[in-house]
Amino acid sequence: MSTDEISAKVTAFIKERFLSGDENKELEDTTPLLEWGVLNSMNTALLLMYLRDELGVVVPPTGIVAENFKDIRSITKMVNDLGSPQRATVAGTE
Amino acid sequence: MTLHQYVIDAAATAPEHLAVAGPSGAYTYGELDRRANALAARLRDLGVEPGDRVVVWAEKSPETVAATQAALRLGAAYVPADRNVPRQRVATMARDCRARAVVTDAQPTSQLAQDLPGVPVQDLHEELAPPPSPVNEAVDIGDLAYILYTSGSTGSPKGVCISHRNARAFVDWAVAELGATPEDRFANHAPLTFDLSVLDLYAAFASGASVHVVPHELAYAPIQLVEFLYQERISVWYSVPSALALMMRAGGMLDRPAPESLRAVLFAGEPFAIDQVRQLAGWTRARLLNLYGPTETNVCTFHEVEPRDLRRDRPVPIGRACSGDLVWARRSDGAVAEVGDEGELLVKGPTVMLGYWGQPAHRGPYHTGDLVRVLPDGRFEYIGRRDHMVKVRGHRVELGEVEAALSAHPDVAEAVAVVVGHGMDARLVAFVLPRAGREPGVLGLKRHSAERLPRYMVVDEVHRVAQLPRTRNGKVDRGALTARVTRSTRPVENSASTRD
Repeated sequence: MSTDEISAKVTAFIKERFLSGDENKELEDTTPLLEWGVLNSMNTALLLMYLRDELGVVVPPTGIVAENFKDIRSITKMVNDLGSPQRATVAGTE
Repeated sequence: MTLHQYVIDAAATAPEHLAVAGPSGAYTYGELDRRANALAARLRDLGVEPGDRVVVWAEKSPETVAATQAALRLGAAYVPADRNVPRQRVATMARDCRARAVVTDAQPTSQLAQDLPGVPVQDLHEELAPPPSPVNEAVDIGDLAYILYTSGSTGSPKGVCISHRNARAFVDWAVAELGATPEDRFANHAPLTFDLSVLDLYAAFASGASVHVVPHELAYAPIQLVEFLYQERISVWYSVPSALALMMRAGGMLDRPAPESLRAVLFAGEPFAIDQVRQLAGWTRARLLNLYGPTETNVCTFHEVEPRDLRRDRPVPIGRACSGDLVWARRSDGAVAEVGDEGELLVKGPTVMLGYWGQPAHRGPYHTGDLVRVLPDGRFEYIGRRDHMVKVRGHRVELGEVEAALSAHPDVAEAVAVVVGHGMDARLVAFVLPRAGREPGVLGLKRHSAERLPRYMVVDEVHRVAQLPRTRNGKVDRGALTARVTRSTRPVENSASTRD
């Protein structure tokens, strides 16, 4: 999966699940997700489950650091670095 | 004996024994003792004296634990603040408790220093030389040991003041009940601002055992939490039921044999659904203990799960008094509740707090605001709250404080917050009435809240409404609002399984 595809999927997930659709289109790929309370501990867990189930990426405990979750750009880079070997199938978020 | 004596004693008898392990490294008791001493000497140089308060604003780590020990050795109290609490709120807390110093891993420290003129800000990680002689000021066990700030109904947080005696009464009970030994390995799941962490840290130190800190980011990462349990060979686990439910549901915990090391699983802070307790009991032979107590009383009742509890379709009881406390329920007519009666739980005894910071000392029994039923065997069963206080994954949330923060947004005329769902699925939902011509966005409102409130009080969902439903006497109809979101988010499989 390309970086753009990963970014689009992560963005769509965050908009739908944590921002009620983001009607005002405020979310950008550099929005500080932790600092602005978009990713609290439970939401981070939901995102981790999404990454595992939909992108086939399991983040190791050492990877779960604020640096990797601070914005969509960092999350995308992390997912890209970890690779998505088999289960990169299309899965809608709607 | 004081609360920090445990580490001093363990450092004298077993300096090489592991004391605290965390994401950034580990300390033996000898190392923890030396770091606490060095930091205590530095804080003394900065002007901290017996009777003062020291705010510790940092990620959970061995160094952070050493900082709390350092404050205690000076005869000062520590005031923990989660690293993810906004700076503005830390500054408000520090001003409220008139902190003499702040210890933090936030960089640069100068930003906080600007907010707090005259209050020295110490870098948590600074290398410090050990003092020529150990720091150990005379401390009375009735003195203040720490202040835990909890959500307040008036719209601002309130500080619960706990003395050495208050904490020790509970810790010593826990050590005896668990039969803890130096071989034990305690997990620390809760943040240091949450009183569950008091058991993890101090029961470990009191028994010369080790405590293994779950990094904040992992607190609700299911697979990683389960991995932590096995990797760290945890023997005593203590958390809110939500974390255990998540580990069972999404962490694959039930697919693996329970670790041999695990001998006790403790939970508190919110009700644990009985079907989940059954799953847990079917998985591990470890003792399962339900602990109860508001921050103001530490743990004042407990119940060990028995086979007969698993056969009942009721929540696990909160049990009977412990920690040397006297606990009873008072009916609405003022009489003591008898078997079968419902009433508010009252607590009196050594664990009950000194009082709220800045308010007169607490006297008499503490009224928990929790409604309980007295079971035939005299145990208590939790029923619910008397007021608007709610819990989100064990954290106390005063909805008024959430609403006050949202209402302070320039585009918001009025805001109402409710909690929907239970346990792991609990969501903090806000209904926002915008000012005329304004359309505040969800992200903007979250940001606004996150700059004022701890992360767990930032709303999960925001709904803009054109008007707020009112009851006949003009109050906001919270029930009607709750019903709106409960209906709209009901999962599809529920309706599919309902025959009609």
